[in-house]
Amino acid sequence: MGIKGLTKLLADNAPKSMKENKFESYFGRKIAIDASMSIYQFLIVVGRSGTEMLTNEAGEVTSHLQGMFSRTIRLLEAGIKPVYVFDGKPPDLKKQELAKRYSKRAEATEDLSEALETANKEDIEKFSKRTVKVTKQHNDDCKRLLRLMGVPVVEAPSEAEAQCAALCKAGKVYGVASEDMDSLTFGAPKFLRHLMDPSSKKIPVMEFEVAKILEELNMTMDQFIDLCILSGCDYCDSIRGIGGLTALKLIRQHGSIENILENLNKERYQIPDNWPYQEARRLFKEPLVITDEKELDIKWSSPDEEGLITFLVNENGFNRDRVTKAIEKIKVAKNKSSQGRLESFFKPTANPSVPIKRKEIKSMLRSFKRAIEHKMFSVQPSNWSRPMVFGKLSLPIYNLGSKLHTFCLEVSALVPEAEYPWKHQ
Amino acid sequence: SSTGFSLQAMDSSHVALVALLLRSEGFEHYRCDRNISMGMNLNNMAKMLKCAGNDDIITIKADDGSDTVTFMFESPTQDKISDFEMKLMDIDSEHLGIPEAEYHAIVKMPSSEFARICKDLSSIGDTVVISVTKEGVKFSTKGDIGTANIVCRQNTSVDKPEEATVIEMNEPVSLTFALRYMNSFTKATPLSNTVTISLSNELPVVVEYKIAEMGYVRFYLAPKIEEDEEDTKPQV
Repeated sequence: MGIKGLTKLLADNAPKSMKENKFESYFGRKIAIDASMSIYQFLIVVGRSGTEMLTNEAGEVTSHLQGMFSRTIRLLEAGIKPVYVFDGKPPDLKKQELAKRYSKRAEATEDLSEALETANKEDIEKFSKRTVKVTKQHNDDCKRLLRLMGVPVVEAPSEAEAQCAALCKAGKVYGVASEDMDSLTFGAPKFLRHLMDPSSKKIPVMEFEVAKILEELNMTMDQFIDLCILSGCDYCDSIRGIGGLTALKLIRQHGSIENILENLNKERYQIPDNWPYQEARRLFKEPLVITDEKELDIKWSSPDEEGLITFLVNENGFNRDRVTKAIEKIKVAKNKSSQGRLESFFKPTANPSVPIKRKEIKSMLRSFKRAIEHKMFSVQPSNWSRPMVFGKLSLPIYNLGSKLHTFCLEVSALVPEAEYPWKHQ
Repeated sequence: SSTGFSLQAMDSSHVALVALLLRSEGFEHYRCDRNISMGMNLNNMAKMLKCAGNDDIITIKADDGSDTVTFMFESPTQDKISDFEMKLMDIDSEHLGIPEAEYHAIVKMPSSEFARICKDLSSIGDTVVISVTKEGVKFSTKGDIGTANIVCRQNTSVDKPEEATVIEMNEPVSLTFALRYMNSFTKATPLSNTVTISLSNELPVVVEYKIAEMGYVRFYLAPKIEEDEEDTKPQV
């Protein structure tokens, strides 16, 4: 579930902490991916029609394998180096949330049988998706597939999100890809949404930076964790009547949950009995994760061709030609991923262009229109309105290819050279 | 600025970068009253510049408070004047600070020769290994159909200085690069008779074409990285 309403809260109150990027811009990046979240998405979407799903001859579901195989190849072809992180034993505090999910699935199963009786297609579609559960078998299948593909797998001792964040903090990966916002609460320096979406959706990747979130909200990490607990997380109930915006106001006013509880109107807001917010806080701050180098074997290797054909074609009825072609793609991508990025050598400096206005960020987020449509350049109003003529240039014009999409033209008369370190003269 | 204008752009995968500098002295007329930084979409700019004739005089104008830039094209006989106004944009991506560096090896060679080498090698393989030793500069590739090696030795005893190959080497260098980017860079060949390739084991290659006496266009390309070295490198 993640953190309730956090995306909107950040869009409205910390817009500079999030930016839209093209999928291709993650070329050469190592990304930790919450595997369970991805598998869940595949089971819901891939090859599904009503209650029908992709299966092998034995009638076992293969949607997760199809989704994981094709989506991982898409990442590899884009030069992205994925690390899939699988959930371990859930923390005790999450049992209540898991029980809720179980009862919701049970309800959905009842609703589905009703819908099947009345042959209501829309309801069949809706409720069958709600009955989906990622099983140990699904996880084991995907682990086996990924290892055969030469993609590293990390088995988290507890929460995958926490392990992803730990990998990111340790500099093992560039960012964490998931749809659950609690990666940020675990302190993942960079968090990516929509990275695993199919290319057909044409939705840009949304990148969040935890340091910028804290800077814009003017908060410490501890306060941000408290904000997330108050907004609603997987580990404990929230206070009824307190949503994200109220939580933000209260944290700004009082600084911590303890101080909020001391000053809260108990008649208006009902605090849950034995509210375990401190344990929830501890789980976010000190989660159970692997940090030992020896236990973390993160290496991308060549695919096991025979193994893949045995597993996918012989055991799961995949088309041999398609699998063979896919293996070729993996091999080509393996070579591609050894390409370095310029950021490994040169450090980014502040962009001299004018920052985006808050309102524009919000509309970007809601409509997912191309950033370019929203961001028209504007500079300080001038008290001198005649055009500045930069110069006349008599040179032949050459098309230097379409690889380079945007640039910044820099004309700097009054600023000392030192303030423009990107100039190489 | 009062000294000229510069431009920086990166490809979407942040592997290659172009930096252009045009100094004010190279223009027939140049005036800049205060600093201005403009974000442009290169595809849109290319569309507009393609509307200019080869011999046209180009005037670039921008108002301090405006969100557009104007390209004015005048035919040599001044019987035709075209005005193209392009919308500016705010660029989200960060600029890269490119520090001054002492390169291990600098190769200056005819630009047409370099373009030919890149074109020939790309028909054999996808990557080029550029190695500079005291013997000269070697460009090599390997692909499914075989391998290719081209060695250029220092050659200064030529009638025309632009036909010389000059190699300055402080220490040997060997780096691997993607040929498709190199071939994009060589599209700038008509700008200059010579190209300068600067290499260091720890840095991207710099491929530089001088633009008359007024500036340069420099292309930076990140090298290919050895797998084991890459896996241990922290992500930034």
